[in-house]
Amino acid sequence: MTFSYLLEQTINGITLGGLYALVALGYTLVYGILLMINFAHSEMFMMGGYVGLGVLKVLSDPAVAAKAGMGFLEPAQSFFNSGTFGFVALLIATFGVSAIVVGVLGVLIERFAYRPLRHAPRLAPLISAIGVSIFLQNAVLLWIDSKQLPYSRADGSAFLTAQTAFNVGGVNVSTMQVFIIVTSIVLMLALDTFVSKTRMGRAMRATSQDREAAGLMGVNINKVIALAFFIGPALGAIAGVFNGFYYGSVKFNMGFIPGIKSFTAAVIGGIGNLRGAMLGGFLLGIVESWASGFLSNAYRDVIAFIVLILVLIFRPGGLLGEAVTEKV
Amino acid sequence: MTIGTRRKLAVLVAAIAILAMAVTGCDTAEEPEEAEGGEAVTVTIGVGAPLTDGAVALGKGMVRGASLAVKQANESQELKDLGLTIEVVEGDDKGDPTTGGNVATQFTSNPNLLGVMGHLNSGVTRVAVKIYNQANVLQVSPANTAVDLTEMGMANYFRVCTIDSVQGPAAADYAYDVVGAKVAYVVDDSTVYGEGLAAAWAGQFEANGGTVVEIEKTGDKDTDFKALVSKIKAANVDIVYYGGIYNSGALLSKQLKEGGVAVPMMSGDGCYDAEYIKLAGAANAEGDFCTSIGFPVDKLPKAQDFKSAYEAEYPGEAIAAYDAYSFDAAQVIINAIVKVAKDLGTDKLTTTEGKQAILAAAADSDFEGVTGNVSFDEKGDTTNKVVSVYVVKNGEWVPAE
Repeated sequence: MTFSYLLEQTINGITLGGLYALVALGYTLVYGILLMINFAHSEMFMMGGYVGLGVLKVLSDPAVAAKAGMGFLEPAQSFFNSGTFGFVALLIATFGVSAIVVGVLGVLIERFAYRPLRHAPRLAPLISAIGVSIFLQNAVLLWIDSKQLPYSRADGSAFLTAQTAFNVGGVNVSTMQVFIIVTSIVLMLALDTFVSKTRMGRAMRATSQDREAAGLMGVNINKVIALAFFIGPALGAIAGVFNGFYYGSVKFNMGFIPGIKSFTAAVIGGIGNLRGAMLGGFLLGIVESWASGFLSNAYRDVIAFIVLILVLIFRPGGLLGEAVTEKV
Repeated sequence: MTIGTRRKLAVLVAAIAILAMAVTGCDTAEEPEEAEGGEAVTVTIGVGAPLTDGAVALGKGMVRGASLAVKQANESQELKDLGLTIEVVEGDDKGDPTTGGNVATQFTSNPNLLGVMGHLNSGVTRVAVKIYNQANVLQVSPANTAVDLTEMGMANYFRVCTIDSVQGPAAADYAYDVVGAKVAYVVDDSTVYGEGLAAAWAGQFEANGGTVVEIEKTGDKDTDFKALVSKIKAANVDIVYYGGIYNSGALLSKQLKEGGVAVPMMSGDGCYDAEYIKLAGAANAEGDFCTSIGFPVDKLPKAQDFKSAYEAEYPGEAIAAYDAYSFDAAQVIINAIVKVAKDLGTDKLTTTEGKQAILAAAADSDFEGVTGNVSFDEKGDTTNKVVSVYVVKNGEWVPAE
């Protein structure tokens, strides 16, 4: 196997890892603050994919807009369908709307499914999360479609073509891959700066250390938790839209496997630790890609979970997780 | 009893009730209404197919095909004279063996259910057929192609489609002789169907003198093939063969072409649907091959009647791969029921004796169906062994030369 092949598989892995990391941040953010595993988070990834597809269709396909009663968008459509500038605007609108809609959905889920259970035994919100997950999947199944929907324009062509952006060491890197890797890294750095540098970020860190004491010091706990439930799902939604562009389709149960993998990534990195989630995501993506590329596709998940087990044996708190002292 | 424990009890009872509803599918069975004569009998045919997950486009087509056959039968003078009405019950197996087993149990718990038209996936049938067998329920599949299903000694199982030991080699011959491919990469989706078909294809391709670089496993719900595509690109092959269903197959084709593997992908009957082209994108699917069982619907003698009846019943719906086969499979069940109703009387239909007589009647099937002559050999396989090759041209599956 040549060096360029190794490089190619590594780039595949980093792209996949970027998606895992974006979703993993949502798990780790919520766990860090509430010590709760939000099993509905994989559905945020799925909803993001669907909302993104809806926005794309409404803004670019006159037939869909007319059917949805949004025929007034027609003048805007000609702008979105014209040239590079219009296309960039279309992408920004897609990611923006998807992130905001799913972020608000995340806040609503927290308000109605988790907050009433905040002082209940820890199993209760977990079950509630599974309920939300089942509810969202079935809502999409019934109201949208049980079929796998292609992420494509009205004429069947892809929104983002897989053209080569540049060539490194004999490996063609597609625009899509550059787009995913750059965006996910930028978003992660932004989140990291937000949490470590801003006032609100400090409030989040304080809440995660000790919720009650932070509340006594004047931190608005509900606001902090709601913010975590906005940011996590919004990042998950962006990953969902990327997933649609990159792999080409959405389906109501598409969140399950990436959800499990991203959760694994969060655990590998040390759940509750933001940088850990990013590291875990990229590590898992690259390991999977290498396993598939150098061994066999059948061993891909096996190797990924062996990595998880090894990490848990030698560093039970995860790669970047601190040895947590039991809170009494 | 304190209030606390009483409340706990209430919660427990509620939970059990909800669970019970979920298990029974909360279908309160409607009592068949007695006709004026008091002689009218309603019997049921189950249609087991993937309706919300898996190959949904094919599954929904199966329901349409079978329902059309039952509707025509109910309108016929023959059934009216017998005072017999047949109803169709759908069971959603999601293309998943475990769910399929539950569907089978649900079907067989209905004493009026005399036959099952389905399932689509061979892996589902492998589980379900045993449950039908214990209940003496006839199963006729329009689409199971895994070879071993008729070698399990199940007297209640028949299929109206050709099997993979015919389909795979026919496809491999076409790839080697007509397409001219010499080096192939084979991918399957780790299901009973996909593995069997891919192995049959690979075996014949190598027997012809071709080289199979590798047989790679993927999952039937996978959407990410990027790493695999890089691997296939490095292997420099002439053709990629995929054993599996269109959901994942289409995405593999798309990612292959986008990843710079500019060779055709070939697959089996599980990919023979317009959804394949939609999901892959017409430009990516262009030039891809697939095989499907039987002749193209247009070329069959009785197909025109079927087509016009279908279009009248389901305006706007395209005929999917198994709709005509489902029509014929349902016809096998209907014919068997009618024969037994005439021989033993309609009141004996739902007895064990009646059900066994239905199995015997199905084994003797011999009629001119939409898909050609329908009859079975001693194992329950169809005697009509035809495979056709299709190619994507201008965004549509058309019969290949």
